[in-house]
Amino acid sequence: MSLVTVERRRLALPAAEIVRFGIPIALVLVLVAFSAAAPGFLTVANVTGVLVNNVALAAIVAIAMTLAVAAGGTDLSVGTAVDLGSLAFITAIGAGQPVALAGLYGLLAGIGTGLFNALLIARLSITPFLATLGTLFIGHSLQQLTTDGGNPVYVPADRIPAALAVLGHGAVLGVPLALWLVLILGVGARLLLERTRFGREVLAVGTQVEVAIHSGLPVRRILALVYVASAAVAALAGILLSAHVNAYVPYAGNAYLLDSIGAAFIGTSLSRNRRPNIPGTILGVVLFAFVTNGLLLVGWNFYWQQVGTGVLIFSTLALAFAGPRLHA
Amino acid sequence: MAAADPTRTPPPDPPPALAMRDLVVTFGPTRALDGAALTVAPGTIHGLIGQNGAGKSTLIKVLAGLVTPEAGTVALHGTPIAGITPGRVEELGIAFIHQERLLVPTATVGEALFLGREAAGSRFGYLSGGLQKRAEAAIARFFGIRLPRNALIRDLTIAQQQIVQITRALLAEPKIVVFDEPTAALAKREAEHLFAAIARLKANGLTTLYISHYLAEIERHCDAVTVMRNGRDVAEVDPRRTSTAALTRLMVGRDVSDLFPRHRAEPGAPVLALAGVSVPPALRDVSFVLRRGEVLGLTGLLGSGAKELVQALFGLAPIKAGTVTVDGRVAHVANPHDAVRRGLALVPENRRAHGVALDLGIRENLTLASLDRVSRRGWLDRVRERAQALRLIGDLQIKAAGPEAPVRTLSGGNQQKVVLGKWLAREAGLYILDEPTIGVDIAAKAEIYRLIAGLAEGGAGILLLSTDLDELLGICDRVLVLYRGAIVSEHPAAGTTAESLLNATLTGDGPGAEASRAA
Repeated sequence: MSLVTVERRRLALPAAEIVRFGIPIALVLVLVAFSAAAPGFLTVANVTGVLVNNVALAAIVAIAMTLAVAAGGTDLSVGTAVDLGSLAFITAIGAGQPVALAGLYGLLAGIGTGLFNALLIARLSITPFLATLGTLFIGHSLQQLTTDGGNPVYVPADRIPAALAVLGHGAVLGVPLALWLVLILGVGARLLLERTRFGREVLAVGTQVEVAIHSGLPVRRILALVYVASAAVAALAGILLSAHVNAYVPYAGNAYLLDSIGAAFIGTSLSRNRRPNIPGTILGVVLFAFVTNGLLLVGWNFYWQQVGTGVLIFSTLALAFAGPRLHA
Repeated sequence: MAAADPTRTPPPDPPPALAMRDLVVTFGPTRALDGAALTVAPGTIHGLIGQNGAGKSTLIKVLAGLVTPEAGTVALHGTPIAGITPGRVEELGIAFIHQERLLVPTATVGEALFLGREAAGSRFGYLSGGLQKRAEAAIARFFGIRLPRNALIRDLTIAQQQIVQITRALLAEPKIVVFDEPTAALAKREAEHLFAAIARLKANGLTTLYISHYLAEIERHCDAVTVMRNGRDVAEVDPRRTSTAALTRLMVGRDVSDLFPRHRAEPGAPVLALAGVSVPPALRDVSFVLRRGEVLGLTGLLGSGAKELVQALFGLAPIKAGTVTVDGRVAHVANPHDAVRRGLALVPENRRAHGVALDLGIRENLTLASLDRVSRRGWLDRVRERAQALRLIGDLQIKAAGPEAPVRTLSGGNQQKVVLGKWLAREAGLYILDEPTIGVDIAAKAEIYRLIAGLAEGGAGILLLSTDLDELLGICDRVLVLYRGAIVSEHPAAGTTAESLLNATLTGDGPGAEASRAA
């Protein structure tokens, strides 16, 4: 009898630790395995390519998602904010507006999306999941209505401002702008969540909203700000995406939705106290990107690639939930 | 059923319904059970008392198969039982009614009662429509009351949820029922119904193990009582022949003097005044004045409107008529955020759902209502925050591994101190306390009472909603009784007996119905 008890207690700590350190270790193992199997994997060109093409925008959207997850919800309309930000930005560029002003329009489109979510969630008390799902559908129609049923909007080659190319392809100190933006937004969001009064209030709302209410926190205002911030950050990804391809591509943003949810929850499982956090989210995005890229390079059938992502999520969550179960 | 003399060990035949011997359970460095024993004669109501941490819960967890003891034996009706698991408990004929309500919040009352037992009420796999009717009949049978029709569990008050949970357990027709503080949330009348139900079932041979902090209940209803302290059973006594003081002494190992400290504050300026306040349909035309330095009690049965009054004052329910004046200014409190800004503080009844964020640390909980004081221009001042948390932990004597320990890991009493500490950090002017000592052991209770007295002496006004009459008379200056949505009487604590107060809550009769308005 005592044996069983001892056994359980000894298991308890490592189980939690397996989850925390398991994913970074898994990341390293995946990298090692892929670089052994695919010679092109661990090259500067490939790694940079993955970081710029597969990580940067996904990471920005995932940061946006993490804000909503930290407040105890989900923002299914992050992709919509990406698209509307992109559409507003490209439309303004096409109309001959300077890049800075076009960027502001893009950001405002994101903020508008966020305000709509805030209205539904904070004012009408609709569950974030359903509210943002509604916004997702409405945003889809909005794009169809404004682009003749969902046609891409290209900036004519002769009207592409030089500044747009810099925004889309420029680099500072050899690091592409998109990655700088990930760094800035990531550090900013982390400081916001961990070091500010607002971040603490978000944590309280996300952990136990009734306690936040009974402690006198302005819960509606907090939720409204979170969803506006989430959509604004996602719109930045949309602006960057358009600058990269000189076009608005309909519904492109939704490609980031599921990965961002997966990354945010992987990040939560990684943290010691199971809280949504920015570094964990980014690690999740990086892991997704390299698994996909590695599978591509080793010649996995393209159609099978999402199986890799799925297995990744399963194994993380299995570990994460095995932890507390072993505790009991 | 032969009447066994429960005070003698070992008991005569028939064999005890439950015999636990020499149990040892350790959690890390602490010995939760250190050779504890418990013998319950069949067909009796057996009380189990002790402070928090005395080992009562661990003993019950052993019986429920949730904790495996390192040593010791358990026998039911003379048969040794090895390796109890939670799955076998029902088949062994044991039912548990826990302090924490383990019901699905979105189920209807009927579903909650019969969930997992649908076979009994289903035809061809469909739930029969009579579920709700059968649920009503069952609740009426055991408690003599009626719950709101078609209500979901989450819409019910804690007391109502408890009633559903107890009914569910009794429907399984167990041989032994273990109550873990069932009446903590129940108003007197529901508690009386519960005891009447237990007495009826006892006549049919049911054995009851009853854990409670309410010594009065134990004395009135139990045939025998086991007192635990420091992981051992220290005594088994006949509660009818043992005084409350003696029981308390056995629990703490010493005398608890002045459980109810009297504050020495003079009433100051009015901090809260209500004039003709109505919260339909629960409450109508309520008027009273609470002064700084005063502890004002508020009591009433379930449905008296006392709960709704507290909710409305804190902005959790809309006030439809009348005026509320806080610190001399008319206050339209629209939501709790408003309430807190006006200097109100609420210690809610449902501590674990509304009072503390269980997964946050003690520090994070303690500063949750006073983040403005530990931050500068929106940035948290982590040094100051930690200092404030440590000061409160020291002042309130919160027992925990450290300021970062999740509140989930604390005992009920310490969790309640965290809730109080959260408001102390704000230096609120008006404390609304809703059943502040529910599920709190006697030593922590005394500390909370001392704290309340200290708040009054510091110039705060205290509005104490409670169904514990001794508590009301012990620490309040006066007590208002609500009955069916109106204040029916006011009782100065001095010279009022628990009996007369109980009578007022039950019947709505009593002196000074007008005095409260004039005050």
